[in-house]
Amino acid sequence: MPTKRKLAAVAAGIALTTLVAACAAGNGGKVGGGSVVKGQKIKGGTVTIAEVAGSPNDIMPLGPSTNSNGFNIYLDLGLWPSLTYSGDGAKSVPNPQENLYSKLTYSDNDKVITIDLKPWKWSDGVPITSRDFTFVYNLLKWNYNDWFDYVQGLFPVDVAKVLTPNAHTVVLDLTRSYNPTFYTDNVLATIPLLPQHAWDKTSASGKVSNYDETKAGAKAVWNFLQAQGSDMGTFATNPLWQVVDGPWKLAAFQSSGYYAWVPNKNYSGPDKPVLNKVIWTPFTTDTSEMDTLRSGTSLDVASVPLNDVRQIPALKAEGYSVAQVPTPGVAEILPNFYAPVAGLLLRQLYIRQAMEYLINRKQIVQKAFAGYADPGNGPVPVLYGKQFDSPLEKAGGPYQYDPAKAKALLAAHGWKVVPGGTDTCVKPGTAADECGAGITSGEPLTFQLLFASGTESYDEQNAAFQSTESLGGVKITLKSEPFNTLVSTTGTCNGQSHPAATCDDWQLEQYGYNTYLMDPTGAGQFNTDANGNYGGYSTPEMNKLIDATEYGSSSSAFFAYEDYAARQLPLLWLPNASIVFVYKSNLAGVTPLNPFSGLVNPEVWYYTKPTS
Amino acid sequence: MTWYIVRRIGQSVAVVIGVMILTFILVHLEPGSTARAVLGLKATPARVALFNNTYGLNRPLPVQFWLYCDHVLHGNFGISYSAGQPVSTLIAQRLPRDAVLIGMSTLLALIIGIPMGLYQAIHHGTVRDDIVAGTWFTLYSAPDFMEALLLIAIFSVHFHLFQPAFPGGITSVGGLFTDPSALVLPVVVLAINSVAGFSQYMRSSAIEELAQDYMRTARAKGLSERMIMWRHLLRNAVLPIITILGLSLPNIVAGAVIAEAIFNFPGMGLLFWQSALSHDFPVMLGATLIIGVATVVGNLAADIAYGVLDPRIRHAV
Repeated sequence: MPTKRKLAAVAAGIALTTLVAACAAGNGGKVGGGSVVKGQKIKGGTVTIAEVAGSPNDIMPLGPSTNSNGFNIYLDLGLWPSLTYSGDGAKSVPNPQENLYSKLTYSDNDKVITIDLKPWKWSDGVPITSRDFTFVYNLLKWNYNDWFDYVQGLFPVDVAKVLTPNAHTVVLDLTRSYNPTFYTDNVLATIPLLPQHAWDKTSASGKVSNYDETKAGAKAVWNFLQAQGSDMGTFATNPLWQVVDGPWKLAAFQSSGYYAWVPNKNYSGPDKPVLNKVIWTPFTTDTSEMDTLRSGTSLDVASVPLNDVRQIPALKAEGYSVAQVPTPGVAEILPNFYAPVAGLLLRQLYIRQAMEYLINRKQIVQKAFAGYADPGNGPVPVLYGKQFDSPLEKAGGPYQYDPAKAKALLAAHGWKVVPGGTDTCVKPGTAADECGAGITSGEPLTFQLLFASGTESYDEQNAAFQSTESLGGVKITLKSEPFNTLVSTTGTCNGQSHPAATCDDWQLEQYGYNTYLMDPTGAGQFNTDANGNYGGYSTPEMNKLIDATEYGSSSSAFFAYEDYAARQLPLLWLPNASIVFVYKSNLAGVTPLNPFSGLVNPEVWYYTKPTS
Repeated sequence: MTWYIVRRIGQSVAVVIGVMILTFILVHLEPGSTARAVLGLKATPARVALFNNTYGLNRPLPVQFWLYCDHVLHGNFGISYSAGQPVSTLIAQRLPRDAVLIGMSTLLALIIGIPMGLYQAIHHGTVRDDIVAGTWFTLYSAPDFMEALLLIAIFSVHFHLFQPAFPGGITSVGGLFTDPSALVLPVVVLAINSVAGFSQYMRSSAIEELAQDYMRTARAKGLSERMIMWRHLLRNAVLPIITILGLSLPNIVAGAVIAEAIFNFPGMGLLFWQSALSHDFPVMLGATLIIGVATVVGNLAADIAYGVLDPRIRHAV
């Protein structure tokens, strides 16, 4: 479930540079979660942010299913925030100040949600009401198959009924009970409110009406909005997109990806923008971005590519401050459980365990990522804090680097272990001390790792993986491909469809990481029919534990799932690189970085001048 | 001459059609699923099917090719899968900018290369000839990305003299000149790689011309060396350069992917490179077609210009 959202499209290494922020504070006070602001606050100013290797091409907040451009969310979130505002400072919790609702009440065994909307207004002064929610619901109800963020079985098809008892209350009667944390963090965080009074029309010159209340009308409105939303030449001039409820309005947009925000003067939220303007300026590659940073001229905020983290001292000399935030996601080597021959090996838990014991994650963090990475102890990164990080993960995970244990495991299961060479099965069979089902005598323990080319850190990581695996006699051959080629050859299989499908062209794959929303659930990754389960992992126990995190209400369910997944190794866990971020040292409000908010909230930034 | 031109145009059309067929086959031989490449790893089978249906990728290849040709003949190059914009728009945005950038660098290379070639011809076989040739060949041999990064390190990072990259968001030719200092380094880098070619062609041609009877006659008439050089030698020796210029037309259209990547210049080269990585067939096909057309037009123009300028060729055909 988490990785199907638009943010996920960004995940595969596309580095936009706009993570950030926190709640603004006064002069010299604390900002957000606690960074001390030095200097006097300056009102106004322009911030220029680097946008690397991609740019938005669709402005409609409910993007079409055929558009996977992860940069669109950066354009949209400052204009039309979601009901749940993800992240409070760096904490993985909703931000009550920024949520569009004042109260969220779960009742009837967590099957009914009552949403009390805040009395905020659209930028044109019209109040935000429950009608705006039903507008969104109606559009999605009839068009969810063409909505990029739709996740099978979730909103809007999980809604039995929507009631609006008054202008500021919405009652969602769901078809089943949900875990409130899951629904609030991962479903409501993807649903914006849209201005029915301005957008419920079927043509540019047509009048606004209640078209969304019929199937035909909702489809016509949807088609109209999608057509307008993809017309890049009119993003900044189309009256539709000037009606917003976020802190910013779009002032300029060029098809090259350059765009500019100015403050929404009627913004009702707590953090009124202090800056006069925010500019996103596109860069074709991170090389040109880094050169511009090094020349110390036009950029105020930018990400630092992994390959260039060693240039951070030089950037500091150019007047930049540095911040980092762990990426909310999980990095992995994906095993193909249905690859011919190799799949038989990978289905053996003891082989996966031995391989994980042979990954020196601490070394990879230091050498490949220069220390800027989550250790990758299991399915949940350590940034998630106490509500999601189990004691097992915090303690380093179940399989910390230990070649001796790996060799012992393999030897105990009928393998002739040849450190530096290739292990071979000498005791075929299915007994506890034999190699396992389908593995024949003399079978070598060898795999090909397919990985995405073009990132030096990943090259180093995979070379380290190859090297340390050989200590246990696991022979790894490396093959790199461009990311899109890698993606396109992976296939569309999961634990359910895999046996019948043709997804057998690879054995191990490393393409980056899967992103999470605030609730780092395994749904969508490890359950049998999950769309993101393309390695084909499947156990009834995992399905049951994931269901408990999604639909149950037990607070211990998450740790049970997390520890089970950490031990079961549906993926081989790897360190996950952090996002490293530089910003002009006189720009305040930037830290603590919020990795969950859609990464775009310059409304809390401001320039300072030194106090004498 | 007319028959020659008609025949050459006919050949050019055949070549363009061949390029279309070959390109169409080659791009569809790329491994993996286009829809998966565009929609990402998490694309559901239903979403993949919708994508294939939307873009006609579920139809037989010959039908796709036929539709493509039909659309192209109606001026429709299709919609980019990844940018969501008409391919013609993407190309129209980039082509004029590349033409200006590469045109300027070519002009600079000519301004340096032609006199340099003449100088070498006049001093051929001397140390001065060797020094000039060695210098330009060294620069020509060096990878352009290395030259670009070196120049950026020196002039942008260290001395802060020139912008290391174009400002983001340039959508027009005029936008290139909003900050002229950003033009300096890419123009110089691209020129460096062309000077050696131009100067060596010029040198060879000039050496050949210097040995001609009319040069001796000119000297015998008592013309000054300056007059001989500029009025007689240059005008005759420059003819091969015209051919080279014609052949460099595809370069203008194809862009310069390395320079574009380093100098934040979203041109044709980068467009083609990124479309190849993302399986963006319409862009790949559109760009290849344009480059193919430019190549045959460049060749044709060079042949015709050569014929027009050199009566011996005109009369020979």
